[in-house]
Amino acid sequence: MDSISKSVVKLDHGPKVRGEALYAPDHPMEGVLHGKLLRSDRAYARLLSVQVPELPEGYVFADWRDVPGENVVLLILEDTPVFATDTVEFLGDPIGIVAGPNEAVVDQILSKIQVEYEDLPPVLDPETSETIFFDYSHQQGDVDQAFAQADRIYEETFRTGYQEHGYLETNGLTAIPSDGKLTVHGSIQCPYYVHKALKKALGVEHEAVQVIQDVTGGGFGGKEDYPSILACQVAVAALKAGRPVRTIYSRREDMAYTSKRHPSRSRYKVAVKDGRVTAMDIDILYNAGAYTTMSMVVLQRGVICANGVYHIPNLRVRGRSAKTNTVPNGAFRGFGAPQTFFSAEMIMAHIATDLGIDPLTFKEAHVARHGDPTSTGGKYHFPVPLLEMSEKLTREVDYWNKRKEYDTQSGRYRRGIGFSFSFHGAGFTGSGERDIIKAVAALQKYPDGKVEILTAGTEMGQGLLTTFAKIVAKELHLPLNQIIIALPDTDRVPDSGPTVASRSVMVVGELLRRAAARLKAEWVDGEAQRFEEKFQEPDFVIPFNIETFQGDAYPTYSWGAHCVELEIDTFTGEHKVLGAWGCYDVGTPIDMTVIVGQMEGGLLQGIGYSHMEQMVCDRRGCIRSNSYSDYTMPTSADVPNMGVMIHVEEYPEGPYGAKGAGELPIVGIPGAYISALEQALGADVHHIPFSMEDTLSKWTEVQTL
Amino acid sequence: MSIPFTLNGTPITWDGSATDRLLDVLRAEFTCTGVKCGCNEGECGACSVILDGQLVNSCMVAMGRVWDSEITTIEGFRETEAFQILDRTFAETGAVQCGFCTPGMIIAAACLLQRNPSPTAAEIREALSGNLCRCTGYNAIISAVDRAAKEGCRP
Amino acid sequence: MKNGFVPQTLTEALAIRRREQVTPYGGGTDLMAEHHRAGTYLFLHRVPELTRITEDDTYLRLGACCTFTQVVNHPATPAILKEAISRIAAPAIRNLGTVGGNIGNGSAKADSVLIFFALDAKLRLMNADGERILPIRAFYKGRKELDLAEDELIVEVLLPRQMPERYIYHKVGARAALAISRLSFAGLWSVEDGKLTACATAFGAIEQMVVRLPEVDEILIGVPVAQLHRVRSQYLQAYSAKLNPIDGRISALYRKSVCLNLLEDFLDQIQSAE
Repeated sequence: MDSISKSVVKLDHGPKVRGEALYAPDHPMEGVLHGKLLRSDRAYARLLSVQVPELPEGYVFADWRDVPGENVVLLILEDTPVFATDTVEFLGDPIGIVAGPNEAVVDQILSKIQVEYEDLPPVLDPETSETIFFDYSHQQGDVDQAFAQADRIYEETFRTGYQEHGYLETNGLTAIPSDGKLTVHGSIQCPYYVHKALKKALGVEHEAVQVIQDVTGGGFGGKEDYPSILACQVAVAALKAGRPVRTIYSRREDMAYTSKRHPSRSRYKVAVKDGRVTAMDIDILYNAGAYTTMSMVVLQRGVICANGVYHIPNLRVRGRSAKTNTVPNGAFRGFGAPQTFFSAEMIMAHIATDLGIDPLTFKEAHVARHGDPTSTGGKYHFPVPLLEMSEKLTREVDYWNKRKEYDTQSGRYRRGIGFSFSFHGAGFTGSGERDIIKAVAALQKYPDGKVEILTAGTEMGQGLLTTFAKIVAKELHLPLNQIIIALPDTDRVPDSGPTVASRSVMVVGELLRRAAARLKAEWVDGEAQRFEEKFQEPDFVIPFNIETFQGDAYPTYSWGAHCVELEIDTFTGEHKVLGAWGCYDVGTPIDMTVIVGQMEGGLLQGIGYSHMEQMVCDRRGCIRSNSYSDYTMPTSADVPNMGVMIHVEEYPEGPYGAKGAGELPIVGIPGAYISALEQALGADVHHIPFSMEDTLSKWTEVQTL
Repeated sequence: MSIPFTLNGTPITWDGSATDRLLDVLRAEFTCTGVKCGCNEGECGACSVILDGQLVNSCMVAMGRVWDSEITTIEGFRETEAFQILDRTFAETGAVQCGFCTPGMIIAAACLLQRNPSPTAAEIREALSGNLCRCTGYNAIISAVDRAAKEGCRP
Repeated sequence: MKNGFVPQTLTEALAIRRREQVTPYGGGTDLMAEHHRAGTYLFLHRVPELTRITEDDTYLRLGACCTFTQVVNHPATPAILKEAISRIAAPAIRNLGTVGGNIGNGSAKADSVLIFFALDAKLRLMNADGERILPIRAFYKGRKELDLAEDELIVEVLLPRQMPERYIYHKVGARAALAISRLSFAGLWSVEDGKLTACATAFGAIEQMVVRLPEVDEILIGVPVAQLHRVRSQYLQAYSAKLNPIDGRISALYRKSVCLNLLEDFLDQIQSAE
């Protein structure tokens, strides 16, 4: 193990454990107005009029007319309005904002505002949507010929549901207007995204906007795009009031009206010849919700991962993202990959079972190898350790014996054990790092010899402050307490890109390491020195073409192998997870405790996604599961025995060999979970989350066959 | 008539509506912002405090209920020796990620160790089962409490 | 005190209840979750008669404002009640929530109420003039409809000390803790000389009220355990005819299937226990 992997006390541990860390709702409220949004209560309607009662002194109402710049929240495209104008496009679409000193009075005003709508027929089912936001295709080999020559052809359809981030801290932020400048601070994953959106909505120059991250209570992607929307709304209110305004979402508001994981439908057609998969023809549909937000890039990752970890010589993938009049779906740990990985793992398992081969054996025979082409005609440039990892993991959990034992069982309780593989392409998809993000990171050395890290990287619990500081300290041979690192403030830090895509350590961490190497080489005692590093695409990368979807979608990959063992109660359909294990290659762990913590947390989120985290949208387009009691995430009493093993394939372009880590565990778990469930049930399963009720009904169906 | 209670060892007489929530009063009027609001309905434990020696969700407590009671929040508990041990073991196992659930977890752990100085892993899971964490998967937290118990943490 | 009363005696509490428009506040865990912050609360946690557990020859008497934690920790609490209570929410809620509050909220999902039905518990209600005692089944008139006058308080839950010896309890929730019952079952029985001498079953969270059908359980009473198979289908059919679960987050079909599965299991358990 590299010495850097040895764990340290996290830099932000003290204030958090003592309850002293100030999150967005914790800053003093003196002089700050409460802001609350007026939302559509229709899924789709023409907005005829908004009648606001006479407001008491000190209270303001703002809507699209008050947006000083363009009424647009700049995310990737520009279709999300700051406030609705002519139409509302989903139930919860913001129409305006009320701000004032007393929260109860703000609530009263909101309840008295009369909105007149002309209802329009909403589209709730992506299958019937006529608005396709994005439509991507890519192809390798000769798919039609492979199907023509196939021994067997399999066709199956898979569905995945919503998943709610469930971060413990809801979205919230404060906008503070002052002379010629607007400052926003809050629970933010990507300060420069918020900065860019504010500039456009307010119609101001770079210097007129400042964005600062407060201590942030979890993100998982849920604070990647959403804070840009909220920041524009709160900023407009603050400018109109001429006073600071803070909006902190209630749990119900956060669950019903902010982004979630895209529900999906994936249709797989697979050709098998001589016991091997020769071709896949895949059609994917994601429910984007009312606006495009992050759907473009979520879908890109989904279609690129549609064949899972397998080398499929003839491959055709089409993916579409359809508009519906529902809450816009966005980024969530895994970012489009968990949906297709689930489908790919299950179709492989189903084919294996049909051929009379153990699913794991069948999968092992198809995994990509070092040097193989990727789904987009790129290349796996570095070792693919999946077979070593499955060897380690199966031995650790006694997979083969259990698998055999559970093949013959009787009685009320039935068990199963399942296995899955996954990868996570580290960093932005395609040429995003090179063409869009163009990350810059800096080190500022002070005369006293302390060195400050300047990046836009945010700490959300994933340990980034600590891992960045460890990288710089190691390169400089300095003790950790000589390194200064704070939450980002756009007035002080360069744009090192968003804290997303498991890119921060691998990409920004490497820029910091290089800056530190230069600083060390040119170190002058007693002087202030500053070094900046800019992203450069590694030479080995086969440039990605977004038009043709050809080339290296990712420079390298993190790898995962997962095993889940569970038991079902055939009288009630209840599940009990007996164990969940993962073996992960994330390159060199920059801190072992941080990495194990990421993997365990992701494992449990994946278990929730597979079974208990049910979120439904009703016929009005309303998210019904909008509280922690309705949307059930695992508690400490639901945690199985969890085990995490680490396998290290160093990545030469990452700092000390590190690759991306954060998203990897959730990508593969559903495949292992559902495989275990299938063994217990003795039946194939085609969707997640798979509820108790689904389980009982499937069991009954199997028994009556 | 005002409501008398003790907050972190300090006697208080509080004048306000008996139907106000303890959580709101602690945060807004006594700057106990280590007590977090996660859900408003007793489903997450981020607002955990100790009421007369027992773990409660402060979002579930109306001010009239604290009449003549003793309340300890993280702001008070962090001054104790028992806290020092939990602080250290939480650091060692990496039990703190985003940290939003952490003060509540510490309070829940303290209440457990107060009545059960050597809990089993199952008892720890049970004792923390009202405190949601979305980051860690709980393993690190359970280990931290287990270690603290073994190191003699006696709140 | 604004919007609240904290009586120190039962007499005082009943006088306030008669005089003022107040909502009785037991543990507050339902009231506070429902965001009722308007109105005036009658805080009952300081009333000694409401917060103690006593025993007499006939009953174990639970003061209505005893918390779940208090009930679970009491040595005389029946095992089935301990088991059901220990599956309620999580420790912090059980430290606040009270048995009287669980009853007074009127929900068919209340986990302790299921057991009170199965045990044929009685409730002691009082107003400033006196008391009345009625079976818990009579207290519930419909969903959220209770036989409780504006000036009355639930004072005690009376659990008969004579109760069947064996039991099974099963709660179906979405997860291991912090779970609202989607369905719950309590079944108790006694066997003497190879015959069933007592049998009481109840289902929670499937209809608007807890389902308790003594006339159906009657089918089993007096039947030799070895002969149980003879009345098995009669019992199950009689139950099936009476069960009419509601459709909600989970379907009526699911609820009914699980009920019947659990009843089958109940019969199996009776047989295998002998």
